[in-house]
Amino acid sequence: MIVSVKNLVKRYGDLVATDHLSFEVKEGEIFGLLGPNGSGKTTAINCILSLLNYDKGEIKLFDKPMAPDAYDIKRDIGVIMQDVAVFDELTVYENIDYFCGLYITDKVTRRKLVEEAIEFVGLNDFRKFYPKKLSGGLLRRLNIACGVAHKPKLIILDEPTVAVDPQSRNNILAGIKKLNEDGATVIYTSHYMEEVEQLCSRIVIMDKGKVIATGSKEELKAMIKSGEKITVEVFGLGSSYLTSIKQLPNINSVQYTENNLVIKYSKGKSNLNTLLDFFRDNEITYGRIYSELPTLNDVFLEITGKELRD
Amino acid sequence: MFWHIFSNRLKCITRDKGLIFWTLVFPLILATLFGMTLVNISKQEDFNSINIAVINNEAYQKDENFKSFLTDASQGEDKLFNITVSTKDEAEKLLDKGKVTGYIIVDSQIKLVVKNSGLSQTIIKSVLDEYSQTVSAVNSIMTNNKAAIQNGLLEDVNKRREYTKEFQLGTKDKPDSSVNYFYALIAMACLYGSFFGSKQIIDTQADLSKQAARQSVAPVHKLKVLVAGLSASFVVLFVEILILLSYLAVVIGVDFGNQIGYILFTCFVGCATGISFGAFVSAIVKKSEGVKMAILIGSTMTASFLAGMMNGNMKYIVEKNVPILAYINPVALITDAFYALYYYDTHTRFFMNIGLMSGFTVLFCLFTYLIIRRQKYASI
Repeated sequence: MIVSVKNLVKRYGDLVATDHLSFEVKEGEIFGLLGPNGSGKTTAINCILSLLNYDKGEIKLFDKPMAPDAYDIKRDIGVIMQDVAVFDELTVYENIDYFCGLYITDKVTRRKLVEEAIEFVGLNDFRKFYPKKLSGGLLRRLNIACGVAHKPKLIILDEPTVAVDPQSRNNILAGIKKLNEDGATVIYTSHYMEEVEQLCSRIVIMDKGKVIATGSKEELKAMIKSGEKITVEVFGLGSSYLTSIKQLPNINSVQYTENNLVIKYSKGKSNLNTLLDFFRDNEITYGRIYSELPTLNDVFLEITGKELRD
Repeated sequence: MFWHIFSNRLKCITRDKGLIFWTLVFPLILATLFGMTLVNISKQEDFNSINIAVINNEAYQKDENFKSFLTDASQGEDKLFNITVSTKDEAEKLLDKGKVTGYIIVDSQIKLVVKNSGLSQTIIKSVLDEYSQTVSAVNSIMTNNKAAIQNGLLEDVNKRREYTKEFQLGTKDKPDSSVNYFYALIAMACLYGSFFGSKQIIDTQADLSKQAARQSVAPVHKLKVLVAGLSASFVVLFVEILILLSYLAVVIGVDFGNQIGYILFTCFVGCATGISFGAFVSAIVKKSEGVKMAILIGSTMTASFLAGMMNGNMKYIVEKNVPILAYINPVALITDAFYALYYYDTHTRFFMNIGLMSGFTVLFCLFTYLIIRRQKYASI
């Protein structure tokens, strides 16, 4: 195992930030820690990195106990913090060189790695810029370059796309996939379910410091009863039709507001066909129609009774 | 690794405009203002004859010795007094208008009337006391030992004609008390090095900055990062102090005497004290960077005030009333080390100050180490 966390308990006074948290990260995977703000993701990461004291539990990295002076372990870790952690007084190149230099002492090797990191995050045109001159997206890219320039075996990214424009976000996600393809194991924390779905091969969903579900996105979605959601644009749908629609098979709930009919299904097949047949038989005219598969938010909603973004 | 961190810390410090302003530009601005303000102080301190009045009464007219004494004291290039003989009413008016420092009434005793206290008043009083004591002694000798008159007693007494004399202090031909202000300024600049010390702590403690958290997950011991940062801070601060000294000596024209080696040594130790003080305060105060800076600025300015940077007499007031404060105030210690070099022939007092500064530096470093040595935090 690359990372093994067992029964991790971390308290801030009366608040239990991680409550007997346990999970394992296997070599080569992109492991997602998904949960709303305040669910204990960052605390768990800081405990894994031996930055925080914890009350109980066992943490192993590369099958060795993690400690502040475990330099042989730290040498193989790259961290991208939630906040941009660079020096304002150093240029893009100097920042990457500085943090890379904390891991790599050989100057020639370091120069090569820094150049590769600059190329990787696409900051070639900004290498002499100071961080204050960079946009939010470019700053995030610099933050990532500083964390991965030394080519670590384990990369931990804690909400790296917060407050990032869509273009930069896509670049960052593509970069993380590339790092994984190059052999790095990745731990990715986020409260953006779309990112986690898109990126991670295995996911832990956290709430209130506890693991509430673990598995691949398919496995997680299979855990819940909810099926697809169909939204149809219909004008002037009468209440008698709504009552009839509710009688169709596999339907969990029906809502009709502002000419939009939203139907949530439990698991089942041919739901869309059945609905379209109903419209045709009753000569109901409809506009746009689309179907959505259940998301991780639905998983979270069904397990906790609240939205992931709450 | 050390040099890698050291060189990058050098870049960080020298490119921090706020830090460079407070530790270099601000002292240079103050030095310029001090230079413009204090340029005439030493000239004002050249001795000027004191204006006094003597009441023209019967006793004064009969006292030929006193009249002769006053005549002698008001003649020559280095005369002590400018004397106006007047009535009591006129003397009162002159005193009220500040035209005379005091007036003398000769009666059964010689009395002095003044309105204020100060150096001039003290000089008049001392001279009159000395005259009275001398007259009394001579009268006593004449009564008990008349032979002394034949042995030239009166000639010896009358030989006393010179009332002002320049003394050489320390190593300087012409000591200038305005340098005390510049000493305090240099000391303040040394203590402004505390900002550097604070910055290093903030950039090293994972619970104080994001950059420090990133460094803490790297395979480098925190103390190595801190020592490299403090070393870089020391180099920058010492160079800044050298620039300040050069500016004071060359542009402002402050004369530091001929013990430049000791002066540099004082600055060297002062820089270490300032940086370690900042590191200590930053480590012990678990507040935001702004609060830490406010505490450092406030404490440095207070220490500089108590060391006499804003008021030359403050140094003496503190030494007289709260002497312990002079021994625990780093600015006062640095100022006094310069002072000792300037005014004293021996180095006893100088090395006492250096010893105290070194002791405080060691204590600040020790306490800082004890506070920051832990590598895990309760919260980040």
